[in-house]
Amino acid sequence: MEDICSFVLKEAEKRGADYCEAYGASNKESEVFIENNDLKQSKSHKTDGLGIRVFVNGSLGFSSTNILEKEHIGDAVTKAIKLARVSPSDKFNSMPYSRTVKLLNGIYDKKSESFTASDTVKLAADMLDAAKSYDKRVSVDSGNFTSSVMTHALLNSNGIRTKETISAFSWSIMGMAIEGSEVSNFDFQFGGTHNVKDIDVYSTSREFSKSVIDSLGSKKIESFKGEMLLTPSAVTELIQDVLAYSINSQTVQKEASKFEGQLGKSVSSDLLTLIDDATDINGLGASSFDREGVPHQRNIIIEKGILKKFLYNTYTANKGDTKSTGNAGGSPKTPPMVSTTNVIIKAGKTRADNLISEIDKGIIINRFSGNVNPVNGDFSGVVKGGQYIEKGNIEYAVKELMVAGNVFDALNDLTGISKEQKVLSDSILPYMRFDNVSFTAG
Amino acid sequence: MTNLLVIDDLFSLISKARNTKYVEVRYQSRTTNEVNFSNGELERIRSIENSGCGIRVLVDGCWGFSSTNLLSKDGLNDSLYEAISVAKLLAGMKKNKVKGLASSKLAKGLFKTNIRGDLSSIDIENKVRITKEAEEQARKYSPVIKFASCVYREMLDHKLIVNSDGAEVEIYDSKPEFNVTTVARKENESVTTSEGIGITGGWQDLFSEKDHIDYANLASEKATKLLEAKHVTGERTTIILDPGMVGLISHEAIGHMVEADFVLSGSIVKDKIGTKVASNLITMVDSGQPDIGSNAAGTLIVDDEGVIARRSVIIQDGILKSFLHNRETALMFDAQPTGNARAFEYDDDLLIRMRNTFIEPGYDKLDDMIKETKHGYLIKGARNGQADANGEFMFGSQEVYLVERGELKELLRGTSVSGSAFDVLQSVDMVGKDFKFDIGTGYCGKFQPAKVDGGGPHIRCNAIIGGLQ
Repeated sequence: MEDICSFVLKEAEKRGADYCEAYGASNKESEVFIENNDLKQSKSHKTDGLGIRVFVNGSLGFSSTNILEKEHIGDAVTKAIKLARVSPSDKFNSMPYSRTVKLLNGIYDKKSESFTASDTVKLAADMLDAAKSYDKRVSVDSGNFTSSVMTHALLNSNGIRTKETISAFSWSIMGMAIEGSEVSNFDFQFGGTHNVKDIDVYSTSREFSKSVIDSLGSKKIESFKGEMLLTPSAVTELIQDVLAYSINSQTVQKEASKFEGQLGKSVSSDLLTLIDDATDINGLGASSFDREGVPHQRNIIIEKGILKKFLYNTYTANKGDTKSTGNAGGSPKTPPMVSTTNVIIKAGKTRADNLISEIDKGIIINRFSGNVNPVNGDFSGVVKGGQYIEKGNIEYAVKELMVAGNVFDALNDLTGISKEQKVLSDSILPYMRFDNVSFTAG
Repeated sequence: MTNLLVIDDLFSLISKARNTKYVEVRYQSRTTNEVNFSNGELERIRSIENSGCGIRVLVDGCWGFSSTNLLSKDGLNDSLYEAISVAKLLAGMKKNKVKGLASSKLAKGLFKTNIRGDLSSIDIENKVRITKEAEEQARKYSPVIKFASCVYREMLDHKLIVNSDGAEVEIYDSKPEFNVTTVARKENESVTTSEGIGITGGWQDLFSEKDHIDYANLASEKATKLLEAKHVTGERTTIILDPGMVGLISHEAIGHMVEADFVLSGSIVKDKIGTKVASNLITMVDSGQPDIGSNAAGTLIVDDEGVIARRSVIIQDGILKSFLHNRETALMFDAQPTGNARAFEYDDDLLIRMRNTFIEPGYDKLDDMIKETKHGYLIKGARNGQADANGEFMFGSQEVYLVERGELKELLRGTSVSGSAFDVLQSVDMVGKDFKFDIGTGYCGKFQPAKVDGGGPHIRCNAIIGGLQ
């Protein structure tokens, strides 16, 4: 892949590009699907991708191809240059210069080399068995187990030349519980790791099964205002996306972020510390360098409620007169954007059990199905896998309950963060409790 | 662009498969071009080529799938053997073997989407220009518009589908879309809206009704008005849904539930064929080639199994008639394949997916629906939505109009509408005579994206409108 990227740089220079960046990724993946309580299908993929970014007179052009033959690559280079020639010039377009990238340990497991397609089949079967053996009312609609090895390389005309290989294993399970004519809420759980020894499909299955069984026998309840406890999965759906959107320099610079102009100020309860960290090898978002070849680093974004920084790539950093935070993201099919890597909400001091027992009247939300507006933070939707709590006790599962409010207001009404954290692919999140939440009966 | 493979390459590969019950080779070469301007700046410009073969085999009652971008003879052979070997691995563990595939007359020949204005003949400069102009116009519209963005995207496909049951298809498809998003802001209030179009067709089809500036003005006008609007109080009441919202409910709340793979895992409709599931005013259809409306984004001539993507009536006059099938589920349900087996790109597996899902028009006028409503809301502008296994659904809207004593009153902020899908359909008491496909800028997500569309007339029903308590 490095040779192909080198070839791109040479061709781009020949064909008139002032600057060029070549990002290549090769992926080998094996996946088994579960459907309708049975193994469904085995898949195996080999894919390559090459992304070519050029600047001509300060204008951006980008093309991508997955056919890595010289003629196609040459055509793709020409196409990128053609696009640059019809694009407006932008003084903030630049590519980073070479810096030492310290390659991360722990994201490539040598054991992945001997991990076979039959291991993948066996783990998928184990995951299904674990879910079904928990309770026979559990019905698994779908799921998967995937193992992959990815090598990516980045070269640019400013001397960056870097490459690494990452192994990843991930799995998911979704479905419901069925008892007579009653069908429970849908639940979805997943897990992932870079290392063979940390593969744990059993816990994921059990958590899924418990959640769907617990949501059987659900009752309607009256509208009320009270506390809400979000599970880590619900935190991803309700809170994480709004935060990720608001701390992104692209949205800040477009004046579309609620956090614009708030650096150094309080944006939430002091219980919240938000970190973006691609060097945390527990998350599947871990890698050594970003989509422009800039070394990854740990970025504390919100510290005890105070907004400390935004996430930047080279372009937005030029524009904001600051340095890239190593958050250029994207695949070879897209020019570098700004993205989060591993999103981490720091664990609190209270156990999740205690967060529940302190609630006078409230709802545990396992999943949220609805709309969250990342710009203004308004959310409204249906509580899924919800459980009603009164005087510290879980009373029963609820149905047809709507929840509405505003994420930014809620962050100021944060009343607790759990000690426990869960790794959900590229998020590492605790349970979070909020007060003053409106629940509307359906 | 040169074709990397021809149909004979696929035939010769299939002839090499031994001990397989079924082999299918799909070659797909997709070019995606995209231009995006945001707040006066080029946000993104790109051209992507993604080409390769997806190979699916049925061995010992198990499916194996493999994909590759290496299109040499060796690359394709390796991929075929990989598919066969992973299928064999599964054969030892799988409980319920695939019994076979329903027979169907499989398509042969060349199929091209009807288009006016070949997208590849429109210079990229033109695409950059209209995107830039629309974004500028959206911000110029009003000083309260603080952010605007405009995207033009086109997907051009060349596909070859050959399988051991006789399909022999070459397809050219063309799907462009254009969308303007704006954010209006004042003090601590902000509103996001969008206006756009997504179709199957060409350049003239895309801008046949409105031009790029019209979309910009519409998006900004909506955001500007909504900024002054109040929030809705949550309640269960009479709701009039616009065609986009009808398309969304058809797709999300009913369509997914009647996908045969979902039915097999216990969807609540599994025993409901032939029973009344909706008001008898409701006829709901999923069709690859709708005989109503034009240029729907989910248009599909032949599905990826080589089955003609015909019209499937899901609900006829309130009675549930059919699920949506691939050839495997059609055999299990003793039904006809409906042409719903789709893969997004060459490396995606085939899944049961919808195409254009809609409710057929009735006899009422929108004016009458409003006149005959004492208290309720008119909901406009589908946002997005989800539905659960038990039929509970929730979807977002951009605009809400209060209806009081038969008159359209003030504009309110968009909010979510929810309910139990079949209860809502049972409650339908008026169906409009108008018709529109209106969710073509969206993509349906089910492990992989799919270009779909949905629509219908305005309908009146009873549902829960969300809001702050």
